[in-house]
Amino acid sequence: MTLTSKPLALIVLVMLLGGIAFSSSMGWWTTESSKQPATFEEGEFAGQANPADIRGSYTFGDIAGSFAVTPEVLAQAFGVTGEDSSAFAIKELEAIYLESGYEIGTASVRLFVAYYTGLPFETADQDIYLPRSATDILLSLGDLTPEQIGYLEKYTIPTGITAATLEPAVGLSPLPVDSSAPASTEYSVKGKTTFGELLSWGVSLEIIEGIIGAPMPDPAMTVKDFASAGGLDFETLRPALQMEVDKVKP
Amino acid sequence: MFTVFGKRIRLFRPRSIWVRRVVQWVFFLLIAFISVNHTLAESGAGIPVLSSASLHAVCPFGGVETLYTFAADGLLVRKIHDSSLVLAGIVLLLSILFGPVFCGWVCPLGTVQEWAGKLGKRLFKRRYNHFVPARIDPVLRYVRYGVLVWVLYITAMSGTLIFESYDPYFALFNFWSTEVAWSALAILGATLLLSVFVERPWCKYACPYGAFLGITNLFRVFSIKRAESTCKADGACSIMCPMNIPVDAVKVVRDHQCISCLECTSEAICPVAKTVVFSTGGVK
Ligand code: SF4
Repeated sequence: MTLTSKPLALIVLVMLLGGIAFSSSMGWWTTESSKQPATFEEGEFAGQANPADIRGSYTFGDIAGSFAVTPEVLAQAFGVTGEDSSAFAIKELEAIYLESGYEIGTASVRLFVAYYTGLPFETADQDIYLPRSATDILLSLGDLTPEQIGYLEKYTIPTGITAATLEPAVGLSPLPVDSSAPASTEYSVKGKTTFGELLSWGVSLEIIEGIIGAPMPDPAMTVKDFASAGGLDFETLRPALQMEVDKVKP
Repeated sequence: MFTVFGKRIRLFRPRSIWVRRVVQWVFFLLIAFISVNHTLAESGAGIPVLSSASLHAVCPFGGVETLYTFAADGLLVRKIHDSSLVLAGIVLLLSILFGPVFCGWVCPLGTVQEWAGKLGKRLFKRRYNHFVPARIDPVLRYVRYGVLVWVLYITAMSGTLIFESYDPYFALFNFWSTEVAWSALAILGATLLLSVFVERPWCKYACPYGAFLGITNLFRVFSIKRAESTCKADGACSIMCPMNIPVDAVKVVRDHQCISCLECTSEAICPVAKTVVFSTGGVK
């Protein structure tokens, strides 16, 4: 059988364009990330979303849709705040931390989500850095393995380098943490202050737990909500917490 | 067409396969529009009827680059989407049937090199495409397999598209974007410059996807075949071949560099009908 140029041209066009049309009809043709990471295929975590597949185009909200971590916790961890933390795209992190000299980006979010949710994540041969605020939140969970704690100790960027000390990206307002500016009002324990904020201000986990008399709850929880849930008066906790905050943020 | 000493000769014959140029233009414009629209869409100004997919999403080589990660973990390398796998499958099927038609008919980087080569043909006439010494040229043609192995290895190890920083194809359709590494732009510039001296230098010496698809030349269904019984042995087919394949010295072209452009066939440069053909069966 011999083929000439015109039938060959037709075959090339039909196979390429027809193949795309066919794959579209079968639902195979996707040119964008579904914003849903692939799942583990086997083992104890089979069927659960795999943090290693988090993409730079995901927002904190997308991550919250697949993992048990709220956008507020992620914003807290990476020192980002804004109108709507769930709309924050993680690829923007690199720009925020560009000046730090450390690469804080998608890999950092993957690591944080994996450690936060207890899902497996391979860090071998990778240098993945986290800001101090993220490490504090992870340590506050109290369920990391010694290897994970060791990794965090090695790869947490020095205190003082946070999103707040760096140029903010357009439309973002980094959290006022670790700032050298006078902070008497910024570091006030108020009703909406979260446990994550207390950690990021430098109050240790032990001290917080000592004051509240219980293991620290979700870092995104406000102190006031914690007090209400436990039938406590917020004002019984606030002065002690403020005293500790003042010690680390005079 | 008339007969001389029993051989059928065409008086007026096309010098090239014009329909191939049309197909090349179609795909060049398609990819250019998609790429520009992707940039516009990122700033909210995309044209809705056009696809605003990223260049990676419409590149079949991405499907090859992600194969290891896909097989090992069921994941795609970052920036690669299912569409790349679909395209990689279609192009592989096309190549098994017809050889690397993707390179000769579809790939816009190949097309752009051919355009740059037109200038070289004008400047150097018959010397064009014959500058690389014959002693080292065949060896250099295997460098692209080294590039292929390197790309597959670093992609598998890193899980990211490291080749993007060196990819002239990515640079060609994103030169206006800050995403393009200077190294990719430099390689694109060098490729276009070299195209003035050598036809398709990137395809011949460095393209990892060309290397991958080139393997299908060894077992493809349709091949370039030369009928020795009617061949005038004028060497026109070999002179015309952009990949410098000595078509007049073989009965069946199995060279790993053939791009199925059909420029050597009796439909184009070969003056004798049905002598150099693109077929499945044997020829006399
Ligand atoms: S052998 Fe013929 S079809 Fe193959 S690249 Fe050369 S001219 Fe094109």
